[in-house]
Amino acid sequence: MDRPRVAIFDFACCEGCQLQLYNLEEGLLDVLGLIEPVEWREAISDQSDSYDIAVIEGSITRKEDEERLKDIRKRAKVMIALGACATIGGVNKLKNQFDFGEVRRTVYGKDAEAPHLDTARVKAVHEVVPVEVKIHGCPIDHFEFGTILKSVLAGKTPSIPNYPVCVECKKKGNICRYEYNEVCLGPITRAGCGAKCPTGGFWCFGCRGLLDNPNVDAAKEVMDIYGKTVDDLSGRLLLFNNQS
Amino acid sequence: MLKVLDTAELGTWVEAIIKAHDVIGIQARADKFDFGPLAKVQDLRLDYDVSLNAPKRFFLLPDEKLFTFKKDEAKSAQAAEPFVLFGVHPYDLIALRQLDKLFEMDNPDVHYLSRRAKAIVVAVDVQKPSAHVFAGCLGFEHVEDSYDILLTKIGNEYLADAATAAGEKLIALGKGFTKADDTHLAARKKIWDENKQALRRHELKPNKAQITAQLEKSYDHKIWKEKARLCFSCGSCNLVCPTCYCFDVADRLNWDLASGERVRTWDGCMLEDFATVAGPHNFRNQREARYRHRYYRKGKYVPDKIGEFSCVGCGRCIGACVTHIANPVEVYNAIMEA
Repeated sequence: MDRPRVAIFDFACCEGCQLQLYNLEEGLLDVLGLIEPVEWREAISDQSDSYDIAVIEGSITRKEDEERLKDIRKRAKVMIALGACATIGGVNKLKNQFDFGEVRRTVYGKDAEAPHLDTARVKAVHEVVPVEVKIHGCPIDHFEFGTILKSVLAGKTPSIPNYPVCVECKKKGNICRYEYNEVCLGPITRAGCGAKCPTGGFWCFGCRGLLDNPNVDAAKEVMDIYGKTVDDLSGRLLLFNNQS
Repeated sequence: MLKVLDTAELGTWVEAIIKAHDVIGIQARADKFDFGPLAKVQDLRLDYDVSLNAPKRFFLLPDEKLFTFKKDEAKSAQAAEPFVLFGVHPYDLIALRQLDKLFEMDNPDVHYLSRRAKAIVVAVDVQKPSAHVFAGCLGFEHVEDSYDILLTKIGNEYLADAATAAGEKLIALGKGFTKADDTHLAARKKIWDENKQALRRHELKPNKAQITAQLEKSYDHKIWKEKARLCFSCGSCNLVCPTCYCFDVADRLNWDLASGERVRTWDGCMLEDFATVAGPHNFRNQREARYRHRYYRKGKYVPDKIGEFSCVGCGRCIGACVTHIANPVEVYNAIMEA
């Protein structure tokens, strides 16, 4: 079998998820045995309009980005969203809270009105084009990237958790952050990270996005048990899970 | 074999055990207690209230490689290593006894059973009840079998009851053990009676048989919906439970996409996709159906299978549930009032 041609494209993001792929270290050689990268800005200087799998990093923030993404979609057989910016909009969606003119003036000052600095509502990749596979997280877990890539190449449906981070906390035997009256997004956030933040003694930021069917109402209702308010919860949710 | 050891001598004995065996012992962890590799005798805390994690995790691992495979060939994962599990409370030992029965049934589970066979379990009677324990309501505050050694603190002494050859060998490692007499047995009986009262921080009104019978006619009780409204479907109650034993099995492929390993990981019936089968069809896709299922498992389905009530009253689910809906005592009391 010919190695499938894979192109990695970055949109609005820090490109840290692309960088995570290097953290596969010698595992990267295994990846290269199975795929042929034809465009990958951080790794190679080649560019190509011909590919089987398109990997999209970053969120979609401008009209011209939407057009570029639709063009990529037409060429790709499979589209993979890579990282929180691509899968859920990520921290970029914080912008959707504000007036876009004000956002531009804050970031670009006197150049704010330059035409190429136009900005629009931030969208995740699937809000613009259909996506076959989402690799969640900020940043992604490079081992999960490997697992998912292997599934895709073997023609299987990748197994991406639809259970919350609590499951991974309990498997690790962690003490629940709620025991210390901390608002942790673990109970409504998709697992797969191995509960890295709670294991390190921190509440879950929700970077992998909400579950398919999160009980957000329950989360709100129990805030007072922990001496917290719904605003405390909403504030935490804004960082990665701004629904606007 | 019944022996007595002065509490001042306990350290020397445990030190000898640590020298001779790998020991998983109960110790402090932040403001709680948990089982973990016991490096030094000073860390052992037999006065603990409840362990954060149930001892099942040392036999049914949270993540476990079952075997590796190539195209036409499979190789079982390596055999279990022996260890001493030191400081198990009676209700947790009863939970292990139940898992033993379940994993011995039908297709005996070699992975679980080989670990159990190689482990030496030192149980200890509860000295301090935890915040949510209700084992006393179920008669699970004490245990009379399934241990290698049962330790009971009686004043300034530990009564050590070795029930197996492995237990006797452990005791032989100690110095200063003396013969026990009937007064020690009477004192232990008194502690069991006291614990029956002390280990009931929540008061379960029906007895076990009444619960099992009542569940026959409680399938449409309003409590399932009422409680499930606040259920995250996070599975915390499942995963901290000493008698929950469900697991998922998956293959992890190597980069050749042909060889790999088969693993199993903890699963839980509260999780949304737990009952999803081919189709895909999810035959318990409602929170309340999943919520109800757990109480039927503990109170009816598993008892029907093994002849023993399958909630041991450790109270871990009560403490682990962020929304405070997982108290079996509240649920079973409520269905009796139907």
